[in-house]
Amino acid sequence: MLIIDCPYCGPRDQSEFSNGGEAHVKRPDGSAEIGDREWGEYVFIRANPKGIFYERWVHSHGCRKWFNCVRDTSTDEILKIYKIDEERPKLDSFKNNVKTPSGEPNLGSGNFTVKK
Amino acid sequence: MSELNLTDNKFIQFHQKIGFKFDGVKYYGYKGDTIASALLRNNIKLIGRSFKYHRPRGFYTCGIEEPNALVQIISEYSEPNTRATIKKIYEGMEIESQNRWPSLETDIGSINNIFSPVFPAGFYYKTFMGPHKNFWKKIYEPIIRKAAGLGKPPKEFKAVSTHLYHNVDITIIGGGLNGLIAAKSLIDTKYSVLLIDFDDQLGGILNNSNKVQSVNNQTPMDWISETVKEIENSKNIKLLKNTLVTTYNYINHLIAVEDKFVGSRPLKDKVNSTLHKIRTDQVILCNGHIERFLSFQNNDLPGIMLCSSFEKYMCRYGVIPSKETVVFSNNSNSESLVFSLIKKGFKPKAYIDSRSGENIEPDLFDLIRKNDIPLYTNSQIKEAYGNKKLQKILVEDSSGGVNEIKTDFLCLSGGINPDVHLFTQSKGLLDWDEKDLTYKPAQAFQPTITLGSASGQFDFNAINKEINEKLDIFGIKPVQIKLKLNTSHKFKIEKLWEVLPQKQTIWSKSFIDLQNDVTTKDIRQAISEGFDRIEHLKRYTTNSMGTDQGKISSINALGIVSDLLDKKVNEVGTTIYRPPYAPLSFAAIAGRNSYEYYDPERKSPLHNWHITNGAVFEDVGQWKRPWYFPLSKDETMNDAVQRESKNVRENAGVLDGSTLGKIEIKGKDALAFMNLIYTNSFSKMKPGTSRYALMLGEDGMVKDDGIICKISDEHFIATTTTGGAATVLGCMEEYAQTEWPNLNVYMNSITEQYATFNISGPKTRNIIEKVFPEVNFSNEAFPFMTFQFHEYEGTPIRILRASFTGEMGYEIYVPSNQALKIWEKIINFGKEFGLKPYGTETMHLLRAEKGYIIVGQDTDGSITPLDLGLDWMIGKSKKDFLGKRSLIRSDTVRKDRKQLVGILPTNKNEKLEEGQHIILDKEIKTPTPMLGHITSCYQSPTLGHNFALAVIKNGQSLIGTKAFASTPELKTIEVEIVEPIFYDKENTKLAS
Ligand SMILES: [Zn+2]
Repeated sequence: MLIIDCPYCGPRDQSEFSNGGEAHVKRPDGSAEIGDREWGEYVFIRANPKGIFYERWVHSHGCRKWFNCVRDTSTDEILKIYKIDEERPKLDSFKNNVKTPSGEPNLGSGNFTVKK
Repeated sequence: MSELNLTDNKFIQFHQKIGFKFDGVKYYGYKGDTIASALLRNNIKLIGRSFKYHRPRGFYTCGIEEPNALVQIISEYSEPNTRATIKKIYEGMEIESQNRWPSLETDIGSINNIFSPVFPAGFYYKTFMGPHKNFWKKIYEPIIRKAAGLGKPPKEFKAVSTHLYHNVDITIIGGGLNGLIAAKSLIDTKYSVLLIDFDDQLGGILNNSNKVQSVNNQTPMDWISETVKEIENSKNIKLLKNTLVTTYNYINHLIAVEDKFVGSRPLKDKVNSTLHKIRTDQVILCNGHIERFLSFQNNDLPGIMLCSSFEKYMCRYGVIPSKETVVFSNNSNSESLVFSLIKKGFKPKAYIDSRSGENIEPDLFDLIRKNDIPLYTNSQIKEAYGNKKLQKILVEDSSGGVNEIKTDFLCLSGGINPDVHLFTQSKGLLDWDEKDLTYKPAQAFQPTITLGSASGQFDFNAINKEINEKLDIFGIKPVQIKLKLNTSHKFKIEKLWEVLPQKQTIWSKSFIDLQNDVTTKDIRQAISEGFDRIEHLKRYTTNSMGTDQGKISSINALGIVSDLLDKKVNEVGTTIYRPPYAPLSFAAIAGRNSYEYYDPERKSPLHNWHITNGAVFEDVGQWKRPWYFPLSKDETMNDAVQRESKNVRENAGVLDGSTLGKIEIKGKDALAFMNLIYTNSFSKMKPGTSRYALMLGEDGMVKDDGIICKISDEHFIATTTTGGAATVLGCMEEYAQTEWPNLNVYMNSITEQYATFNISGPKTRNIIEKVFPEVNFSNEAFPFMTFQFHEYEGTPIRILRASFTGEMGYEIYVPSNQALKIWEKIINFGKEFGLKPYGTETMHLLRAEKGYIIVGQDTDGSITPLDLGLDWMIGKSKKDFLGKRSLIRSDTVRKDRKQLVGILPTNKNEKLEEGQHIILDKEIKTPTPMLGHITSCYQSPTLGHNFALAVIKNGQSLIGTKAFASTPELKTIEVEIVEPIFYDKENTKLAS
């Protein structure tokens, strides 16, 4: 269970929040000139990286505000939280460890709880 | 009597006798006894039958690691799988042994032991494959379920549990020697500290063994009570006893469960257990170690116990399970037991050690020699014998000779493991220690410190150094604890996992997992079959998959596997210990969210009126809605619905629509926002008019519908479906904040602020004119799909002319606190016109006759507005709205999409059924191509027969043709595919 530092309310338990998936996905307008591929990618395709991920959260059982968050999906460490209208922090401002809790290989998975 | 001295101490009150029943027989114990210590006091050593083979089993341990002694507590709603080694007795407690029939002594299932060749490793996967697919369900499964397994589920159980939250700087888990020193050093620091111990007595190893003679020149008991007093009096440390930390999650989030009724019968209406949810900056694990057992033939017999457990029964409970025990060890942990036994005058019958004489601790060696205890060095126990209890053992000595020793008891020690369960739950990494032969914490993943034996630090002389180094980050004053020991301060061990079997008989088994009845032979077989990865092996053999997670045996299994594969243990790896540490009851997890509080119930302001008037309720989301209003107990739902529907069509009916979602939208850009959210265009609408509107997902599928009232370009009120209210509001908020933050718009739920009455039927106008005489309800003054604000006796109300039944009708919105008054007035004034309340079922029937859809019933998230024939609702001139572009996706413009149609049986007496398929062929062949399915189906009192709505492939072009509907009996009914409207196709009634 994460602790999420709502930019409007402060740190709260994850159970007060809902996850909104990948952040900074630009919504094309609905006009017919938008190609099938571009629109399809907006509607259906989301990144799911192991490592640093820009995502959205909403404080649904609190202030109901949406905000953005940078989280390392391999460790669940929250690296940054920023408001919707704030600039997207650069990827190279974070150390991308891509290490998993159990020290698994970068690719694939396995249960290695033993230190190598 | 197996008792030592009977003077009261802090653990046991010997003056307080307690009576309890085990398998119907009354026994006595003392206040402070566990079930196990009390039964051992009464010389009861057989406690249960094993999981698979129904072998007799006794108490193997004296703590939470117990694999065998699981009992059913009859006096607590028959609570199953309770560990007899930790559950304390109370007056009148009733206990039953488990997994035996007809009785513990004579158990018919033990025949499984003789048939054990049919229960090899992976027997679930192999044995029950044939001969016919029904064999599993009909024959094998019921037999296995009866024969294998643990306790029976509890009966008439009503959990009472609560949750408590903590937010502290430091949490110390375990109040043994290290935990107490750590806590003491943190007294009066700036940190808030939580000290948690599973026991009701702090002190751990100091209470349970004679290892330590004195602490700071005090007796261990004096030191403990002084230290605990200091901790209890401190302002910054909170102490939780009887509390087990079961779970160590991410971000130092701990779950612990506290037993509120230790040693007494849980009261029915009091909280029985508290689930503590702890957030902490730093965790200090001081949860000690667990002793391992050893594998040899029949190492499961009652009368075999771990060394440290035997000593704990003596020191802690003043009970000696046997006065003539044999000790078998490969490490220094047995020294303390031998010391305690001799001190009490019950010297062991023999001491067997797999190590050579020079590798045995010198103090221990001298002690054994001085007391003339028969000593077998370089020796191993080959086999144990006995019928329901240990009777003799065979010892192979250093010269290879086999010696028989008659004994009723045997104490084992196969080494010790740091209790790494919580550490690995926290994702910390382990490392194999080749010297101490165990996995030890190596690298913490979270802010976790391990101290003492929990960190694999088994040397008593290194305690000060470790604590001072590891707690230095808190700026504590260095501690200087002086320990005097009765035994060696260091831990030494020599490798021994398993004594190889001498001979193979069906009865003789060498167990590696006592709870799941896994033998070392199963491990060998699994490896020979190719299951040589430890995670595969675990699942194939079920080794360490019991509720004890193999606490005393899983490392032994790794040792055996590493030898068999000729690999280092570190290369074999270890399986993951998963939360919870020990079984955690659902009742504790549920807390207050159970029974009537499981999910909130939402009630309309008229709820009590509905009850008084005999409504039968239906759950719609969290709402309780009147389903129908039977005239008497004898009237069936079908009869009531036919009557209510007929009455709406002939006279008038009124529905409590208060549960419909209502959202108020305001702001300079409210119009632009609404145009983006809904498919419809609201730009040309005049203030005071309303529109039926659809909301789509970005994939183009219908997500919700409702009526939008336009008060002005800057002010709208939207209704939503009852179940969709929260989602629609959430969606509006999301887009307002994330996609169009430039729009000036605000929205709020007003669902609970307003009650809604839907009146409809040909006599509606007569009634409503009587209720609101000052309002002009003529078609000219109040046309269809318009609304007006009025006052009723000082209460502001809104009346909307709309209908969901197909009859002319009005929706009246009134503040919730005035709802009952106005509702009763309508009911009273309507009596002379035949007005009757109706429920949701009638509403569903009437709207279906009119072809109005219900989102979520006639649609399922894969239906576009075009599929519903609602093209007219799409604002084609609008540049954008949610899902617009998706309406011209290749998938949504497909010709063979499922589309909404009406279905009528050709033979009007036939009954259709919701969910049944529409097919083209009269005969059902497999496979039968399916056109689609029936989404709504009712018996219409107006039409006099069944009718249905369905979504079928290419439906709109099939209108006018025939097809077949399937039945649950796999027959077919011939049907006509028609337009999805069955009543008043010209809409004359709505505008009448
Ligand atoms: Zn907030």
